[in-house]
Order: sequence, then C-alpha cells, then structure tokens
Amino acid sequence: MSASRQWRSLAELENDPAFIEHAIQEFPSLREALAAPQKRRRVLRLLAAALATGGLAGCYAGEPGGHLIPAVRNPPNIIPGLPNRYATAHVLGGHALGTVVTHQMGRPIKVEGNPYHPSSLGATDPYAQAEVLGFYDPDRAMLISNNGTAASRQALLAALVSAQGVIAATSGAGFRILTGATSSPTTERLMARILAAYPEARWHVWEPVNRDNAMRGTALAYGKPMDVVARLDAADIILGLDSDLLGGAPGWVRYARDFASRRNPTRTKTMSRIYAAEPSPTLLGSIADHRFVAGPAEMAAAVTALAGAVLHGTSTEAPRWVGPVAADLKAHHGRAFIHAGPGQPAETHALVAAMNEALGGRGATYDVIDPLLAPAASLDALIADMQAGHVSTLLMIDTNPVFTALGTHDFAAALRAVKFSVALAKAPDETAALATWTVPMAHDWETWGDARGHDGTATIMQPMALPLYDGMSAAEIITRFIGETPGTDLATVQDTWRDQFGTSFDTAWRQALVDGVVAGTASTPSDVALSGSAGAITPPAPPAGLRLLFRPDPRLHDGRYANNPWLQELPEPLTKLTWDNPLLISPDLARRIKLRAGDKVNLRTSAGAITMAVWVQPGQAPDVMLAWVGNGRHVTGAVGTDIGWDVYPLTGGDGSATIEKAKGSVELASTDHHNLLDYGTATVDTIVRHASLDEFAKNPRFAKEAPTPELYWRKPPGPVAWAMSVDLNSCIGCNACVIACQAENNVPTVGKEEVLREREMHWLRIDRYYEGTPEAPDSFFQPMLCMHCEKAPCELVCPVGATVHDSEGLNVMVYNRCVGTRFCSNNCPYKVRRFNFFDFAGEDNRPAVSWNPDVSVRARGVMEKCSYCLQRISEARITADKENRRVHPQEVVTACQAACPTQAFTFGDVAQPASDVAKRKASPLDYALLEDQHTHPRTTYEALVRNPNPAIKEALG
Amino acid sequence: MAAVFKPQANIAAKLTLLCLAALVLGGIGWWWGYPRTNYRRQEFWTVQQPVPFSHEHHVNGLGIDCRFCHTSVATSSSAGLPPTYTCMTCHSQIWTNAAILAPVRDSLANDTPIHWHRVYDLPDYVFFNHSIHIAKGIGCASCHGEVNHMPLTYKAVSLEMTFCIDCHQNPGPRMRPRSEIYNMDWARDAMTPSPKALMAEYNVRAGGRLLDCSTCHR
Repeated sequence: MSASRQWRSLAELENDPAFIEHAIQEFPSLREALAAPQKRRRVLRLLAAALATGGLAGCYAGEPGGHLIPAVRNPPNIIPGLPNRYATAHVLGGHALGTVVTHQMGRPIKVEGNPYHPSSLGATDPYAQAEVLGFYDPDRAMLISNNGTAASRQALLAALVSAQGVIAATSGAGFRILTGATSSPTTERLMARILAAYPEARWHVWEPVNRDNAMRGTALAYGKPMDVVARLDAADIILGLDSDLLGGAPGWVRYARDFASRRNPTRTKTMSRIYAAEPSPTLLGSIADHRFVAGPAEMAAAVTALAGAVLHGTSTEAPRWVGPVAADLKAHHGRAFIHAGPGQPAETHALVAAMNEALGGRGATYDVIDPLLAPAASLDALIADMQAGHVSTLLMIDTNPVFTALGTHDFAAALRAVKFSVALAKAPDETAALATWTVPMAHDWETWGDARGHDGTATIMQPMALPLYDGMSAAEIITRFIGETPGTDLATVQDTWRDQFGTSFDTAWRQALVDGVVAGTASTPSDVALSGSAGAITPPAPPAGLRLLFRPDPRLHDGRYANNPWLQELPEPLTKLTWDNPLLISPDLARRIKLRAGDKVNLRTSAGAITMAVWVQPGQAPDVMLAWVGNGRHVTGAVGTDIGWDVYPLTGGDGSATIEKAKGSVELASTDHHNLLDYGTATVDTIVRHASLDEFAKNPRFAKEAPTPELYWRKPPGPVAWAMSVDLNSCIGCNACVIACQAENNVPTVGKEEVLREREMHWLRIDRYYEGTPEAPDSFFQPMLCMHCEKAPCELVCPVGATVHDSEGLNVMVYNRCVGTRFCSNNCPYKVRRFNFFDFAGEDNRPAVSWNPDVSVRARGVMEKCSYCLQRISEARITADKENRRVHPQEVVTACQAACPTQAFTFGDVAQPASDVAKRKASPLDYALLEDQHTHPRTTYEALVRNPNPAIKEALG
Repeated sequence: MAAVFKPQANIAAKLTLLCLAALVLGGIGWWWGYPRTNYRRQEFWTVQQPVPFSHEHHVNGLGIDCRFCHTSVATSSSAGLPPTYTCMTCHSQIWTNAAILAPVRDSLANDTPIHWHRVYDLPDYVFFNHSIHIAKGIGCASCHGEVNHMPLTYKAVSLEMTFCIDCHQNPGPRMRPRSEIYNMDWARDAMTPSPKALMAEYNVRAGGRLLDCSTCHR
C-alpha cells in the first residue's frame, strides 16, 4: 500500500499558514464566533437569558389535540401509513431514466430507480432524486400571463384560437415551434400531425447541453447520425477522451453499474483498465487507472496519433502515452472501447467510431443504434428566420433559449420581434418573461407522457399526483394549435401506443404501467457500415493559447435545476463547491497571474465579457479554463435567482479567451476543507487505502492493520447486527447517494452563508482526496456517513444520553433528549454529526407534505446524523415480526444504497453469514477507518485497487 | 435611638420567610405534580366532537367490530378513520333524518370531510405502529380502555412514555390470545395461556430490542 500524502485542498497541500491555523483548531467553525470579543457581562447576560428561555421552551409540550380528517370516500389502494409505489421516468435532455416514486397518502415523497429499466437497473442520478423538491417547488409557474399581466384561461384559449386561425389560413407560414430535445413517441406523433396540417410550419429543437458533435461525428463515420450504446461490463479496456461516460452521457447510470462490475478484484475475474485523457478532471478521469492531462491542442494531436496507431499501425512519438495505450487497446481486440465526450469536435467522434470498429468491439462492447432523439431543425435556423422577420407565431415548450442560447446569438432581441409568442414553462424563466403569453406547464408528475431510455426502451409516464397548479401539458397546447379540442393526456398517450399494443391493448398498457417499461421496445442494433473514408479524417488543431471550455454545471445541468436548493447546496464532486460556479483554472495559470481561489477576474471571449471568481482545479491542463454554464439565473424562483455567474453570454465563440485579474474576491463555499479527519497526524494518509493490482496480488490484505491493544470492548448484544460496507472500487463520486439521503431523511438545506461557516447538514458526504502534485494528482472518493461505532466516542460524552446504542448496534440519536451541547460532534473522529444551529428545517421553503412522514423533522438546537435509514429498518423489522421470522439479509435497503449507480454501498445484518454485507466484510480489502481509535465502526470500506499498465510508467519515464 | 424594627416585625419577617418557603415548595410541587394531573394529560376528558358518536352504542349495542371502521389497524401503522361513506352505509338507511347526523349527511352532500377532534395524540417524534401490536397480542382495550363503555370517547391512559415502557419491559401480562384482540371486555381467566406461553407463541422477548430508543424514536 502506498502511503504518500493525501490532501483535500490546495491550501492543505501548500501548508498555507491560514489553513493550518484553521485545521489544527479543535473547533474550526468557532473561530469566527470567537473572533468577535464579547464583554464578560454581556456573555453572562446572554447565558442567563439562554438558560431561562431554554427552560421555558422545554416546558412547552406542543399543542394537544388538533383534527383528524378522514376522506369522504377513501381513494382506492391508499391506506394511511402504508406507502404506494408507481413507476414513471425522469427525463433529462430527452432521455428517460426509469424511476419508481414512493407515495405516502397519495403524496409523492421519494424517488427510487426502476430495476426493470435498462438505464436505471434500480439506481438513479442526483437530478432524479431531487425531483421531489422540484415538484413541490413553491416558485413553480402557476399564473397565465399576457405581456406580464395575469390573464384568464379563457383569454388564453381565445388568443390561441385566433392564432390558430391565422396559422391555418397561411398553412403555417411564419409558425415555428421550439422545444427541448425529446424522445417521446407521443410528442413526435403530435409534431408529425401539426407539421402535416401546416406544411409551412417548422419544428426546431434547442438543447444547450447537447451531443450535436457526437451526432455529426457518427454522421461522418457512418453516413448518417447514429447513437452509440456502450456495454462496459464487456470492456476490458476503456479509453475516455474528455469523456462524460460516468456522469453525463445518456445511460450513464447504467454504464456506472456495468463499469463497477469489473472493478473489484475480489469479485471479478479480470479487472478492467480505464484510461482517460482530458483537459479538466471528469468523474471518469478521477477513477481512471491512468489519467492524462491533455488540453485541446494536445488532445487533437493525441487523437490523430492514436488513430494512426490503431487504424494504420503507425508508431507515434507524441504524446508519449499514446503508444502504450494504443498497444493495450489493440491487444484487447473485441474487448476495448473508446468514448469521446460531447466537448470534442465531430472529427474526433468520427475517428473514435472508426477506431472502435477497428478494435472489433461492435456487438460486444458497444452497439450502434438509430438516433433516439427526434430530428428537428436547429435553433440557429430559427433565430435567422426570426431576425429576417419570417416568424410571426412562436410556440416554445419547456425551453429557455433567452438564457441558454449561445452568447453569439441574441435570442431575446429576436424574440421581441415576434408578434405572437407563447412560452409553456414549468417555472418562471428568462424566456417566459419575454414571451407574449406565458402558460404554466404541467409537471411530468401531473400528466401522462412517454420517453425512451438510452437504449431505446420506452416508458409510459403516469401522473403521480393531481396538478398542484393549473398547468397545461405539452400535448394539450400542441393539440390546440392543431385546431382540435384536446382530449385527456391519457387518451393522447394511449393513441400513440394503440397500434403497437394491438388487440390486447388493455393488458399491454397495464403491464407497461406496472413495469415502468414497454417490453421489447429497445432499439435493435443497426448494421450500418463504417464509411471507408472515416479513418482518414483529421481533427482540427485548435490554436495555441488560453482556451475556454464550457461544461454543464454538474449540479444544475443547463440551469433548469437552479431553483432546487438540494442541488444548489450539493457539493460538486471534485471541487466540493456549493451554491457557486466560479471559473476553473489550472494551478499553473493561477501561479502565472497570481490568482487564488475566490479572486475575481475579467474574462473575455469574442462573444462577450464577464467578471467572475476563479477556482483552482488540480489536474486541469495549464492553458485550459473551464466554465460551468447553468448558474447565474436572472429570472427563476427565490432560491436560484442571481446565484453564481451566468456564463452563457461567453459561449459561441471559437474557444479563445483572455483573462486578467480584477479587483476584489468573493468567498466560495467549498466544503473541501470541512470535517477534516485527524489533520496533521500520521493516520491521515491511510484514510483512503489503495494499491495497484500487482501489489494486491502479492498481498491481498494490504489494507489490514495489525490490531493494537485496547482496554475494553462491549459488543452490542444483537442478535441482529446492522452494518455497512462501502466499496471504494465502485464509488465514482456522483452524489446520487447524497441527495437520496437528503430526500429520505428530511435533511434541510442551510444556504451559502451557513456552508461557509461549516454548518452544512448532509448526513452523507463524499470526501475527495488527492495524492501527488496539483498538476496531475490521483483522486479518490470516499463516502462518509455515521460509522455506527460499536464503541462510539460520541456516546461517552453526551451528558443527557441523547445518543445511545441500541441492541442491534445502531448508534441512535434521541432528538427529544438532545440539549445541543455538541460534545458528541467534537468527540466524533469521523466528523459526521450535524447540528441544527438554526431552525433550518423550519426555514426550508417547501410544503409540509413533501417531508418524509416516517422521519422526525429536527428542530433548532438538535444534533443529527445518519441513522442507517432507521425508518426502513423499522419497517422491515415490523413486517418480519408480524410474520414471526428474522429480517431477510437483503430486506433493508438504505436510501444511499438504493440510489447508488455502482452499488458501492452494501447494507444488512452482518450476523447472518449469507448476507451480502457479511460477504463483503469478509473481503481481504475490508478495512475500518481510523482503526487505531478502537471505535469498531460498523461501516467499513473495501480498499481501492487500481489496475495500472506498467508500460505507461516506462513510456512516461 | 428608637429601635428601627418593632417586635411585630419579627412576625412579619417569619411570615415572609414561611411564605417564601411555601412558594418554593409549592412551585416544586406544581412542577412535579401538574404534568401528572389528568387535567394536563387530558385523561378521562371527554372530547367534544362534531357528531356525538357513541362507541358504546355501536360496539356494545350493535356489536360492530372495531375493524369495520378502523380498517387498517392490522396492516398499517395507522388504524385508519372511517370515511363518511362508511358512516353512510348504514345511515343512508337508518336515522336518515336524525339531527345529530346532519354533519355526516352534509359531508357526503358537499364532499367536505368531517373534522373530528383528536383524542389520542402522540408527539411527532414517537412512531407508533398499530399493526405490530395487534400481531403480538395486544388488545385495543390495553391502550384505548373500555371504548365499548364510552358514550363519548375519551383518552383512557396517560400516554406518558412510562406507560409504553411499563409494557415493553414486561409485555406478557398485557398480552392476550389473538382471538380476543378486539374483545373489549376480555379479562384474563384460568383458561388463558400464561404470559410466558403467549410471549413464546408470539415470539416476543422482553427488554432488549423492545426497550431500545430506536424502537419508537427515529
């Protein structure tokens, strides 16, 4: 096992005096409070007041009584106290992720993955998890408005009728529809109908986070645009070129599962090997066995060299890693896969397609299918038409081009020139604010719909609740523009599927709703052949100098989730930033122009200029700057307005940019230095234990520590022993578990100010460690949650017995006993306890029905932490008890475990040898964190094994 | 110089001290005693309801089983309250013009639910599950008292934590054969299996798991 220094932030690596001063303090977050000196008398006065009011508050037992309100007529299948579960899908960028939504008393409260859905297999991404809050968002659009003033539905319908009359009279000349990308068969059918009715009308699609480059690349390679579906479980070698294969690509949740199935050497016969070359770290690069830093110029050279080596057998000099990587790929013919990210040019995608064909993986490591997203005209064409005055009526459905259109386009100005525009929007946004008519759109959970997963599998999406607001569905407004009286959305969707389901429609329909997938709708692999000239393409060489790259915000996607406080406060996987989207610059650039994290810079491209803060990103190519689009919304709800910086105005240029230091700096709320474990001690470097596959082969038990003597240890009596094992080989840091935990356990958000004070409330966090130099560090993810120590340090110091052990080994919090001394948190070596400094839950702007009724909502002054999803344990225990049996080994699934795309978490009764968790804990890789503290944690980790290629080390020297 | 305090002042001082002591003692007594009063616990207090529903009449008089109205008591954490429809299964046929049933008829006619007043209320941090208690042989009457003798429903037990703990410490004596769960007048007799036998039959172990905080609080 290597024991080089592990660090979390650049300040820590550089031994920044301010950082050390912060880290060695026993109570780092107290520094700010102590810095403001108080008069002794005032302190005494405050103490006395706190005691008196605290005592008074303690006397208040709550209002007795209240009402019990039974229904007039019980809705079918709804029993108070028992959850209902219904399948649907979460659609992002037109691609569906199958989900199952848990309801309590008819109210959706939690999202899980749908095990039957090929894009999910039971797991979810953070966005799908956060949809609960999106659905209950009090800032959702609820008013029909005409030029900014509220209007009635009748007025809207009258306006639509007259607009439709004009469109019909001119067979659609001047009528344009703009939507986001869609794979919905119903939307496609309706669009086909409206375009058939009005031959002159046009349908345009704008998706700011798109894969247009990939589509143009496959068009170059195959003669027509194609989608590629990867099968990572069959790939021995994976090469990612600026790839978003884990954490962005359609189907990435499924890919993550397939990837993880080949990563733990104790469970897989042959471990896969991952290479990643990228200008700025991605999740794939962070878990890769070899990560190469390559800016755009080096990447173009590398792709050319790689294509030469793979396609034509030419040897190559630069970059030096290409030779051994190409040799490794070729040596695994039929079991290798190359993936390029959407930021790469079309030519690179074409070459990657040619290389994949040459490597023989087609049909094994990947398939080629016809494109899933419906073809439509581009936004560019629409804007050109609008500017030319050809557009008189514009219908915009669930799209926000005023905010998201490229900075080189002025969509707002073009929109003002359109006489009659209708924006169907789920939430107030920049586009709706400028449209003639704004119509609130029904949420996906309020209407019927359909969408297809990454492999083409269709899901029929059923409503989860009656509409909260009087929203209109996309199907309804399109039907009105066709000039027909809309039927129900159910009928519209059923009409789409009637032919396919045939005579047994009712059975097939019902089955599709129950399963959450329509059986047999996965796309059949295409036999389209590679065009002969594909191998001869050369990617364009970008000019030298500073390059500015744009990526979707890892938390807010293209900005559509900006009003979701869970996602705003979610620490970004690598920088651990919350609430902001500073410009990511390389350590090299930071040194050159003397910038530190938070410093403001003037950034200028050919499209526009902006003043924003920077963040120094270890592992980023020297001449690359990376900006996350999506934050900095101007018009949205109360949470997301004017948070961060809007960098869309900079997009659309040629990628060159200038940067100069500006005056001032802002404090950025990154959690990378929060909750440090044992700063400055020797054990700190053994937190994430890892080794190479060779080292593992020589000593499989490399992560084990020799036991040290201890005084006493009283095991919880059992007979059940709840425990968890976290596989570090699987964790890709994607954050799905963090949001799942937040949704399940009523974890409140605190806001940027409080995050800066280290008061974030996440019960589960993912620590990201680095090893090596800031220029090219190795990175590691480690989920951290309550360890449920058998000898828990927190319990010893609680003066009121508010944290105690139960017989099954759970370290439980009794909220109503807690008086908020915070001794437990200070004594916790893992720093997993969270304190309600304020009434965070009370201040969360969400309706009461959105909370999980099975979990206490904690009050101010109360400590809280991971409970191993005690409510789920209780449910399973009661079910088992009623049947007079033991809880089955796999019966309890914690929220994090259920959401995890890679099954990194295993939970269960370790006292049953047949349980998964017992098997995982028997792994030679199993180790306890801070074992020398003798806490005997019930949560243990499987050490990380990486599979480096010895030839790379030789080549790089 | 004349004395500042006359002899009477001694009495005044003593009285004051006595009053102070009485106040302190009284305060402590109040602090200890008030939460234990039926007034504070609202025990045996008849709660006014929109319809003066009589459990006595429906259970003893008519012999209706608890589960006719509280349908989910054996399957869910919540026993469930009857919807207006349940009331109207009978009351659309009998007592159709009774004045006291007007709120029920209005509820059905206007599709507005009846707002009953809570009799039993647990704090939000307590998670009680009816079904497991039913499954383990705890009768309704153990917590709800002799509902069949209540013309108007009242809280029959304190619902202090000690009430729960007493039983969780030693559940045997309060357990009954499953056939008698809904029998409000049941009493242990010579034929009843012993507490020990019942605990064995229902797989209940005293103490341990039952006394963990996490059993009820989460």
